[in-house]
Amino acid sequence: MKRFIEHEELARDSRFIRGNNAQATVLASLPDDVDAVVKAIDPMAQLIEEGVRGTAAEPLFEAYGPAFIITVLNEPLDPEAPAAGIRLLFRMHGIFVGELQALEGAARSLWDFPDAPWEFKMNMARQCWDEGRHVQIFEKLLIHLGGEVGMFPENTFLFECACSDDPAMRVAGVNRGLEGLACDVFRDMIRYAQKTGDTVMEQAVDYVLADEITHVRFGSEWVKEFTKDNPDYLERTQNFRREVDKQFNFGGARSDRPDSAIQIAIEDRLEAGFDMDEINEISSLSSAGPKKETLRQAAAILKELHDARKSNQNKEVTQ
Amino acid sequence: MTERMYPGIGPDERTTFAAYSAFDIPEDLRELHGRYDVVATAKRVRNFRYAEEWMMMMMGGWIATIPEVPVKTGLGKVIWETAVAADEFGKRLPELRCGRRAVDSGEPSNNAFADFIQSLAGPETPNLTVEKLAGLFDVFIPHLIEIYELHMRETDQICDAPTIEILEDIVRKKRRHVAWGQEVLDRLCETDGLRERRRTRADTLREELLKSGGVTGTLDTRRESLN
Repeated sequence: MKRFIEHEELARDSRFIRGNNAQATVLASLPDDVDAVVKAIDPMAQLIEEGVRGTAAEPLFEAYGPAFIITVLNEPLDPEAPAAGIRLLFRMHGIFVGELQALEGAARSLWDFPDAPWEFKMNMARQCWDEGRHVQIFEKLLIHLGGEVGMFPENTFLFECACSDDPAMRVAGVNRGLEGLACDVFRDMIRYAQKTGDTVMEQAVDYVLADEITHVRFGSEWVKEFTKDNPDYLERTQNFRREVDKQFNFGGARSDRPDSAIQIAIEDRLEAGFDMDEINEISSLSSAGPKKETLRQAAAILKELHDARKSNQNKEVTQ
Repeated sequence: MTERMYPGIGPDERTTFAAYSAFDIPEDLRELHGRYDVVATAKRVRNFRYAEEWMMMMMGGWIATIPEVPVKTGLGKVIWETAVAADEFGKRLPELRCGRRAVDSGEPSNNAFADFIQSLAGPETPNLTVEKLAGLFDVFIPHLIEIYELHMRETDQICDAPTIEILEDIVRKKRRHVAWGQEVLDRLCETDGLRERRRTRADTLREELLKSGGVTGTLDTRRESLN
């Protein structure tokens, strides 16, 4: 068995549909400029449409056009908002596949780094069990909310971004980047469950969040251990984590802005071994992306362009 | 003469306590006898550690290339319990005079066994779940259970009791792993073709394992089959 695999090699059963990771890369590099956002997203309309065809996300594309990728990701989850149910399922499905990739990332660390210290392997083995349970938990929550596995495309960019061939960068990417993002998302999901009175979801996600803090702590400790006495290596590892965090901000969806879709879970991150400088850095990385108003204006233009295209297609069909 | 609470130096200065308990505690009738001395047990525990560590690592490598989600999640727990087993063996090594640094020093019984482990880890692509699982759950883990139980029976029951304690716990979990893995395989192998693949893979690996002498390298290679 070879060491290190590409994200395209992640094996899935026939229920799954793979999304295109290019969307995530584009989202991560959006500037705070309406025209630039439109120019970046609109050419991907066909790609996005192909990716959602036959999935539960197709009606969202029909309604918003390619802008749905910024609308769905960047608006906070609100049970009273239009299409709240489908957006909740979209996020829950995203978490489910994220857990799957976290399981695969932790598990590959056992095979990819055979010479790593035994305590590292123990931590990764424990994480395998935890992530396996998380996959089960989120599959059950998905069903609890009326969804099913494979209803949305799976984007494997979490594995692609986080799974470096270097052990310190692997834990920086998977345990601090990916699992840190999980802390932010899960704190938000707990707030949502409290708002809707869904005690099943609240309790389950709260347990998962506790596990994730432990996994981030593994990452915080192993980055220190792997890079000790080597400040240059530490700096390269931190740069790698910054790049991962930039990707995981989803163009500003995760930030410390009051109206962001996903708030940064500061208390949970502190408990997991992040320091305030690092948390502030994640905040500033997200603030470099487009502001909410920019995205809203861009989404409106993208919808107009989408509606115009649809109208033209309908005319061609009737002629 | 007052009752003595503590013995003195002369024969008439004994305490009055009965040699055996007045509470009728059953006597431990086990004899001080075992097939393995400290050095032999240490070597075997090193072999066990090697097997568990590699098994954990290969399952970690496989999870991403197995398409069936319940198999991925199920292996997550097997990985953790296998890591705990390897850890327990590692902690036992310094207690067997292997030095404090012995905790993570498993070793194969011989080169043939190391080659067998690489054969076991060989299947890689997503269409080989049957081969991956058959190697572990039809062949290797049942073999480990057999050898661990053999060690528990043959080692000195009093002197080597800490190893026995470790093995008892590990065997209990291994039996659960085998039950789960074989149930998964039964369900996956729903056609004659798949069942044949399972049998072929198991037969090939059994032969290789037998030739190596098994995890401890001491298995009688004249045996016709394992398990």
